[in-house]
Amino acid sequence: MAWQRAEAVRRVLTGLLVCCWTATMAAAPHEHTPPVVLAPGYEELEFVPPVAGTYQLPPMGDAADGPVLDTLGKAGRLHDYLGEKATVLSFIFTTCNDVNGCPLATYVMSGVQAAVLEEASLADSVRLVSFSFDPEKDTPEALGRYGDQFRSQGFDWQFLTTASEDDLRPILDAYDQWVIRDYDREGNYLGTMSHVLRVYLIDADRQIRNIYSTSFLHADTVINDLRSLLLQ
Amino acid sequence: MIRKLIGIVTALIAVAAPLAWADETCMSPYMAKIVGQEDYVYIWTLGMEGVGDGEDKLVTVDVNPESESFGEVVHSLSVGGRNEAHHSGLTDDRRYLWASGLDTSKIFIFDIHTDPAQPRIHREIDDFVAKTGGIVGPHTNYALPGRMLITGLSNNRDHGGRTGMAEYTNDGDFITSVWMPTDDNLQGAVKSGNYADGYGYDARALPRRNVLVTSSFTGWNNYMMNLGKMMADPEAMKRFGNTVVIWDLHARTPKKVLDVPGAPLELRCAWGSRSNYCFTTTALTSKIWLIHEDEAGEWHATAVADIGDASKIPLPVDISISADDNHLWVNTWNDGKVRLFDISNPHAPEQVFEKRIGEQINMVSQSWDGERVYFTSSLLANWDKTGSGAGDDGDVQYFKLFHWDGESLTPEFSLDFVEMGLGSPHQMRFGAHALYGQPATKMDHDGMAAR
Repeated sequence: MAWQRAEAVRRVLTGLLVCCWTATMAAAPHEHTPPVVLAPGYEELEFVPPVAGTYQLPPMGDAADGPVLDTLGKAGRLHDYLGEKATVLSFIFTTCNDVNGCPLATYVMSGVQAAVLEEASLADSVRLVSFSFDPEKDTPEALGRYGDQFRSQGFDWQFLTTASEDDLRPILDAYDQWVIRDYDREGNYLGTMSHVLRVYLIDADRQIRNIYSTSFLHADTVINDLRSLLLQ
Repeated sequence: MIRKLIGIVTALIAVAAPLAWADETCMSPYMAKIVGQEDYVYIWTLGMEGVGDGEDKLVTVDVNPESESFGEVVHSLSVGGRNEAHHSGLTDDRRYLWASGLDTSKIFIFDIHTDPAQPRIHREIDDFVAKTGGIVGPHTNYALPGRMLITGLSNNRDHGGRTGMAEYTNDGDFITSVWMPTDDNLQGAVKSGNYADGYGYDARALPRRNVLVTSSFTGWNNYMMNLGKMMADPEAMKRFGNTVVIWDLHARTPKKVLDVPGAPLELRCAWGSRSNYCFTTTALTSKIWLIHEDEAGEWHATAVADIGDASKIPLPVDISISADDNHLWVNTWNDGKVRLFDISNPHAPEQVFEKRIGEQINMVSQSWDGERVYFTSSLLANWDKTGSGAGDDGDVQYFKLFHWDGESLTPEFSLDFVEMGLGSPHQMRFGAHALYGQPATKMDHDGMAAR
């Protein structure tokens, strides 16, 4: 198990080095280029989280549904992958070049996977879902290759995409996951997207119970919340 | 231009880097940041009877020097009636501006991303008191991941200072509320001194330490009372907050109540990755307080500096910490001055600069690089000095921009909000087209529309 986690981390960090370089090159030479500071999710948690089950995770609303494709191209509904288990849902795209964006989400979810694999009481109660918001590049095949790098064999970690922007947009809107495509002044798509990282904790009744973002997302925190949900 | 756009948008997604990226220096650490030139300042403005339409309004001022309308009001959106407009805050994705009214407890949610130059009303929350179980006077609108934290100032039972906090989804749906710890119900918190008053005011988070810090002011009975009448009432003057509370941020449970006597108002936490402290100032005792964690993980409150001559009641109001944690701007409402303190040693701040900005100076906001410093007047409707021109500057209600070069403040422009029929300007928040993938200046607007 430990090896699997270490390998997943290595893969993510290899990608991060490329991202850092890209970010540096994007800045104008005369501008101050601040060093990339890794998000807290890459480090050891600096505090002891509250004891699982001693705090509330009040419902924040229904987790939305919509048409999706799995990595085999099979059409289904997002709700097919929510409910019955506590689910951690992240919105990503596989070509994301921000060290503290999608790679962080995948890194943290790898950490959650590793922790669940080591905690028998969670094994059948937790699901991970990585949902792409780039249907153009993240085809089922591409997403399948991406997922194979991180998913432990047999683990309930689903990688989903959509058939089109038309299918995707209402889902993003419903989750308040804001994404913009980056264009130059001539209107040419730069191939990148800007977004605020959001990862959702969804209970077995498809209610959103927490939302994590870059400054807050950490595997230990997510695991603690999963334990809390399952104790309720 | 494109490089600048990339630089700003990168900041949108790189929300984790606490020191190097900073922000407009006092925003939530969860929030997208403007690290370049801001295009607009949104000013939540209190309606004044006989001035314009007399209604509260969100005023948008163009502050991009490359724009043809630099220094001009480009938009004003009235919300209907007066609500005691006071504080405002942005959602973590910066698409919406929440602005609240201390009197009516209404919250107005403005869409500022569809057209940053022309905010529009997205939603109005008019059942805050009922939903929250009696919290009155929504004050700080503070971004948490995917949600907003709203601090209260009062309650609907006695309209005193006991109050709580509420959480809403970014779209404006109520989630939950929690009351401040009191002697009657500490909720598991440790009372470390003489007070557990249950009062509220501001809130700031230190996610890295799992800490939420709250401060305390006064209730509806006082903040809606005429200032002179209140100050002449010894009983009313007893009803001010004397506490700062340390919370478990994740669990939203109070951990420790600290004595900070004299109405601790704005809270500003350091950005440094090893800086486990925040500052506040006390309105009635004119001191800077350091709220700090020791090596054992215990939190303390220590008075670390005087602000002016406390016997003259300078009345410190808004403060602003620099992105590098080295300086703190402190406004004092009564003498119209801004003071700059060197806080590189947070335990021993030293005043290094002082300038009179204007009558009843209140709020201060600085750009992330600290070069642009904005000020507004107006404290509360019933506390403000009355009559335009009453001050020796002749501009009682104003919005001003200064350039800070590290040694002096140079005026850029000043807008008289009374003369312009707008009202009393209070809190300022920044906007930028680049946050939404849009070029900044009007010159580029056509290109944007064409794509």
